[in-house]
Amino acid sequence: MAKSNTGGIAGIWLDDHECVVAAGKVREAGFKKFDAITPFPVHGMEEAIGIKRSFIPYVTFAFALIGLGAGTLLQVWTSSVSWPLNVGGKPFVSGPAFAPIMFEIMILFAALSSVVALFAICRLPKINPPVIDPDLTCHKFAIFISSEDSGYNAERCEQLLKSLGAVEVKRVAHY
Amino acid sequence: MAASNHSTSPVNPGHFVAGKGLRTLYSVAIFLGTVLFALGLYKDQARAWHGFLTSFMYWTDLALGGLFFVALQHVSKAGWSVNVRRIAESFTAFLPIAAVAAVVLLLGSKNLYVWLDPEVVKGDAILKGKEAYLNMTFFVIRMVVFFALWLFFSKKIVGNSLKQDADGDAKWTLKNVPLSVAFIIVFSLSYSLFSVDTLMSLQPHWFSTIWGVYNFAGLIQSFFAMLIIFVVYSMKKGWLRGLVSEDHLHDLGKFLKGFTVFMAYIGFSQFLLIWYANLPEETIFYLARSNGWWMTITFSLLILKFAVPFLLLLPRWAKRTPNHLVMVSVLILIMQYVDIHWMVYPNLDPYTPKFAWQEIGSFALLGGLFLWSVTNFLTKNKLVPVRDPRIEESIHHHVAY
Repeated sequence: MAKSNTGGIAGIWLDDHECVVAAGKVREAGFKKFDAITPFPVHGMEEAIGIKRSFIPYVTFAFALIGLGAGTLLQVWTSSVSWPLNVGGKPFVSGPAFAPIMFEIMILFAALSSVVALFAICRLPKINPPVIDPDLTCHKFAIFISSEDSGYNAERCEQLLKSLGAVEVKRVAHY
Repeated sequence: MAASNHSTSPVNPGHFVAGKGLRTLYSVAIFLGTVLFALGLYKDQARAWHGFLTSFMYWTDLALGGLFFVALQHVSKAGWSVNVRRIAESFTAFLPIAAVAAVVLLLGSKNLYVWLDPEVVKGDAILKGKEAYLNMTFFVIRMVVFFALWLFFSKKIVGNSLKQDADGDAKWTLKNVPLSVAFIIVFSLSYSLFSVDTLMSLQPHWFSTIWGVYNFAGLIQSFFAMLIIFVVYSMKKGWLRGLVSEDHLHDLGKFLKGFTVFMAYIGFSQFLLIWYANLPEETIFYLARSNGWWMTITFSLLILKFAVPFLLLLPRWAKRTPNHLVMVSVLILIMQYVDIHWMVYPNLDPYTPKFAWQEIGSFALLGGLFLWSVTNFLTKNKLVPVRDPRIEESIHHHVAY
């Protein structure tokens, strides 16, 4: 509540290529906390904005290893320590029999941890975010500069976006 | 569509030139291979033929892998792969030689398959029951039919692609779709039976219903490794400048990793069920591969054909670094030989894996011929299907994060 009621400035383009060029220029102007909102993935946008690779794959890998270990321990403990059970004359600890469950628990841990990590870094779920323009899911492309960016200045941003060819510039409410 | 501008911006790949080193390599391989194979036949027929069968499967797999990949691209109407498709097409240039090699294999089949010996069959109730399928006449008929089908489809599918180089007509691309669909159906059946005939019948009492799939998994895994080596070689020579980038390598690397997992999955599926059921008629296969040094080979497949390449291909940079990708591909190609050797050689010696000049002979002979036919094809034709309607998509291929 204490925060200002504008969360940033959004410029809107009708052409995806112009939007990519503008995103590159916004980045050159020194902005860091800005984003593009487009109805479909636009080639070259990640590079234009300067988005680095996500670290989620490393979370996935780490939890995959934890899951692999957990699956192994679970089976070794249940089938040879807690309640040793002779199945078909096989050893209590049999690698081949354990492999499918080791694999499945590895996948389970990896998948769930990826989803949790994604929600955490995107701060999802977001309740009722402001709608910049309903047509951003259809045929419009936007660049949104957050007011939290160090170089943020409402007038300067408005001018910058206009000079880059935005057909419309809007002040957007805080997330 | 950007595809309609190809007449305004002609694509000019470099010409594939088999340099002196490459020509010397395959000439020496063919010459030395012939000498060693002949010498091996003179010294120990059974061993020479087992070596020949292993090499025959190895190189035929690569040629068939090329045709399967090309068919898959046509069926899925893929655009990204257009610029590497011609190199895959070039692998099929080995198929006619493989057909000749199959005839040579038939000459030596008495040394490989016990079910060809009437005396053995007479005293063996199981083999007697399988006689309707496992007999020389039907074996020859099947081989002829398989190779006739494969040669027909490779001539048609690859031929249409070459015709398009000349006239740039999009109809060749459309014509290849139903042909490729038909080939994939024919291939799945014929290759399964082919691998059963050539490799599974080495132990005619034993059977595995997943055998064809396991062989296919090795085929496609080794094919991608070989394709990557050829693509990187052509890139380093500068022949694919502006046409093939690390984005294409990235996708080929993904395929290589995917089918590495697939190979392990199928291999383990085959093993797990046999291990669990523990039926003597099924376990003989793995028992024969757990004696002495064979156990080491068995484990080397799990580690060096799956675990190590999988981890080496996991990071994103690994699939975008040509030298790294080639290193992993070489490892996989070596292990593919070990894999086929592992299927064939326990039949010859149940205790010790054998690999010496006898095996190198037939491997070098067929490998030299493979290299000769493939480079010959690439020298004669354009390195990229320059007038494919989807080529623009391939030129601008981009892999997002």
